Amino acid sequence: MDMSWYLVLSALLFATGAVGVLIRRSPLVILLCLELMLNAGNLALITFSRTLGDEEGQVFALIVMVIAACEVVIGLGIIVAAYRRRIPLNVDELRALRG
Amino acid sequence: MDFQAPTIDYAGLSPVIALTAGLCIVLLVGLFRTAPGFMPALTLSVLAITAGLCIWQWGENESLVEGALQLDELGLAAALIAIFAAAVATILSIREPSAQDAGQGAFGALLLGSVLGMVILAQAQNLLSFFIGLELLSIPLYVLCASAIRRERSLESGLKYLVIGSVGSATLLYGFALLYGATGSTEFGAIAQALGSGGLADDSLVLIGTAMICVGLAFKLSLAPFHQWTPDVYQGAPTPVTAFMAVATKAAAFVALVRLFQVALGPVADDWNTALAAIAVISIAVGNVGALGQDSVKRLLGYSGVAQAGYMLAGVVVATQTGVEALVFYLAAYCLMNLAIFVAVVVRERETDRGDDISAFEGIGRSRPWIAWPLTIGVLALAGLPGTSGFIAKLFLIEATVEADYTWLGVAIVIGTMVSLAYYLRILSAVWIKDEPAPAQPPLPAIAGGGPLARLDGLEEGSADVSCPKGSAGPLGAYRCALVVGAGVICAAATVAFGVYPDPLVDWATTAAESLAPTL
Repeated sequence: MDMSWYLVLSALLFATGAVGVLIRRSPLVILLCLELMLNAGNLALITFSRTLGDEEGQVFALIVMVIAACEVVIGLGIIVAAYRRRIPLNVDELRALRG
Repeated sequence: MDFQAPTIDYAGLSPVIALTAGLCIVLLVGLFRTAPGFMPALTLSVLAITAGLCIWQWGENESLVEGALQLDELGLAAALIAIFAAAVATILSIREPSAQDAGQGAFGALLLGSVLGMVILAQAQNLLSFFIGLELLSIPLYVLCASAIRRERSLESGLKYLVIGSVGSATLLYGFALLYGATGSTEFGAIAQALGSGGLADDSLVLIGTAMICVGLAFKLSLAPFHQWTPDVYQGAPTPVTAFMAVATKAAAFVALVRLFQVALGPVADDWNTALAAIAVISIAVGNVGALGQDSVKRLLGYSGVAQAGYMLAGVVVATQTGVEALVFYLAAYCLMNLAIFVAVVVRERETDRGDDISAFEGIGRSRPWIAWPLTIGVLALAGLPGTSGFIAKLFLIEATVEADYTWLGVAIVIGTMVSLAYYLRILSAVWIKDEPAPAQPPLPAIAGGGPLARLDGLEEGSADVSCPKGSAGPLGAYRCALVVGAGVICAAATVAFGVYPDPLVDWATTAAESLAPTL
């Protein structure tokens, strides 16, 4: 099986994530799209690791999963704190800081 | 399958180990009720021990943990700058509302975690340890930015930083994946070897990968056009965190950038140095123009940070040893002068109810000389006036650009500096020329001290020659206030001292740059 299709898929996933971060308004969906971008990187790493017959890429991908989990925990924590403060959960309305 | 445990040099790894152990201790002790001032003291002592270990290892040059980290003076120099910034941020955070909300223990532990990430990042010699260091640096900072959990702006800045920082990380990761695919290794040395063997300079994986790495790191370093988050986050985050973030992140990330681009991507320098030069010029232009109309001093410093990052990037673009030397000198000088300004911002934020607005500084030249002078020196150094280390730092950078035939980049730095005077001098005119506005109602005591007692104390003290925040009255008051003002005075004094007699700092920067020399 040709490995390049996996790379095409990972590039599409990355693009989907990037577009999602740019156009979606809910911070929760933005977090999901960030995960998509990181996992696109993981897929590329694993594909290359397989092509090269080298384990380093897989180790890298495992560690990235842990890091991605950390980021989501922090993101959800901040969103919950914002929700409790009755801050609108819409990134277009987060504009107390402008100028 | 045979598995061989890596050989670990514990002496070389000792700064990382000390920080990790200290982080756990601070976090656990923070769960108990302790005397006020104990947690910051514990955090400071962990930082002092780590700094001591860094100085002890100064001069060693070896690869740690099978090439994951590289112990050399360049990495240690960045680590020392980060540790100094963290120490000042800890002093500024004593009785700060954000640190009170988070708990001084958690605040200190997060700060130490971020410093740990910086130490790892500055020493990273492998794409994997680079990424871990970068995330370990960023994730605690997201929390610290949002740590004033009762302030809407702090939460907003935390969320913005998280989203934009993660986009940067994901882009960087994708770039790393492509680079790994093209070269077949994650180690800087092996990558350089694969790239140097020819045929890969035009490879599309390498080109796209390098571009994505540039973008990802530009997000982290707040380089234009990836800087939009900087002013918002700087303004919204608690001021001690902003101070730490502004100087320490830059030091670690720039040193890591130098190592990545000059060691791993050195053989394909033609692919990236024009792109980085363009980013540097755009940053200088956008940062300086953006800062012109700002009324919030923290926002202004955010934009000025974008411009300063552009200046520093010139030191990377030239890809010479003089360039790295100028960069390390600039990072150290930048750390001192920026912290001197942030001390004044923290003090005035607590004394007045105008926050970090420029009007909060009106007339403090006469009433608060101990804050006004460090602020003035810091601002003049940022503007690069002679007699301060900022001047020497800019001189070295311009010299490095001219030497490497990037004279136009040097010209861009000079023009940027001229424009920057417009907004730097605005702060100084507020401090020295304008009169202190008569308060319409009695000034509010700072949130920090809290309670009616602090308010009474604040009013009774009057405003004549008290250089302390009024809200700090309490068992820790005078002591804490001396620490805060003292930190500012030390930073300002060092800025002037290295401006008049720069030799020690120059030698330090040269040693750091030379440790990278074999690979240049």
